[in-house]
Amino acid sequence: MIKYIVFALVLGGIVGYLNNDFGSSLATVLVRDYLFNGALAALLFVMGLVFGLDRDAIGKMRRMGLKILVVPFAVASGSIAGAVVIALILKINVVATASLSAGFGWYTLAGPLAGQLLGVKWGAFAFTTNFFREMLTILTVPLAVRLDKYVPVAFGGATSMDTTLPVIVKYGGSEMLIMAFSSGFILSLIAPITIIGIASLV
Amino acid sequence: MFDFVWLILPLLGGIALGYALQSKRKVNLDRIVLGAILVLIFALGFGIGSDTALLSSLPSVGLDAVAVAALTMGFSAVFVLILRRAVGLK
Repeated sequence: MIKYIVFALVLGGIVGYLNNDFGSSLATVLVRDYLFNGALAALLFVMGLVFGLDRDAIGKMRRMGLKILVVPFAVASGSIAGAVVIALILKINVVATASLSAGFGWYTLAGPLAGQLLGVKWGAFAFTTNFFREMLTILTVPLAVRLDKYVPVAFGGATSMDTTLPVIVKYGGSEMLIMAFSSGFILSLIAPITIIGIASLV
Repeated sequence: MFDFVWLILPLLGGIALGYALQSKRKVNLDRIVLGAILVLIFALGFGIGSDTALLSSLPSVGLDAVAVAALTMGFSAVFVLILRRAVGLK
């Protein structure tokens, strides 16, 4: 399945790029906003349906209970710890790197926020870093899920509530739906706070 | 990305309908899911391809950004696996 996904991603990228030169901005809005949101809403509905139909998945979810809150907490602290380590290796600003990695993959938030708080250069870096997190998550799901079904959720960060959710559930199973969604939701909720909070330490 | 109502309503609606239909015969929704995923990913790619600011920033900061993304993800996974064992999350 991943080859279809890569194909769709690359095709979308090429068409989107060509549309800048030849097409209209109306097409951009239609595809990027309406088609994207429509497909996402349809997917969430169908995945909810599959989950609701699956007695085992609901039972597993019930047994997890509040323990699922551990996952977004672990993702948040892991993201920041990983950023500190790589910043020390690359000899770049540790606090700024930690701040932008606290976007947890939400690049449309992290880019502009870091740009405003830390300057244009860091804004671009925040945008690309979080963008790569989303891309790498989508591309590595088939491999990551073999390590552990929680690994794609950890990789996805905040994106596991929308863009990477369908791929995670497709490979990890219906029981991962609420897990992935709730983790992504909580991370999306705290991302603005963690980005601004850490950036204020610079 | 943060239009929560837009996301949660279809999700809850789907779960409720699935729950109500639980006794009915099995349906295979795999093809519908795959089709919708491909549309979603295409639209995602379209958004990236049409974003000239993003595309122009990729070459200059690309390698460092990949390194930061990879380590951020790796540590996230390790932390999740450790904490998951610690609290006994199945």
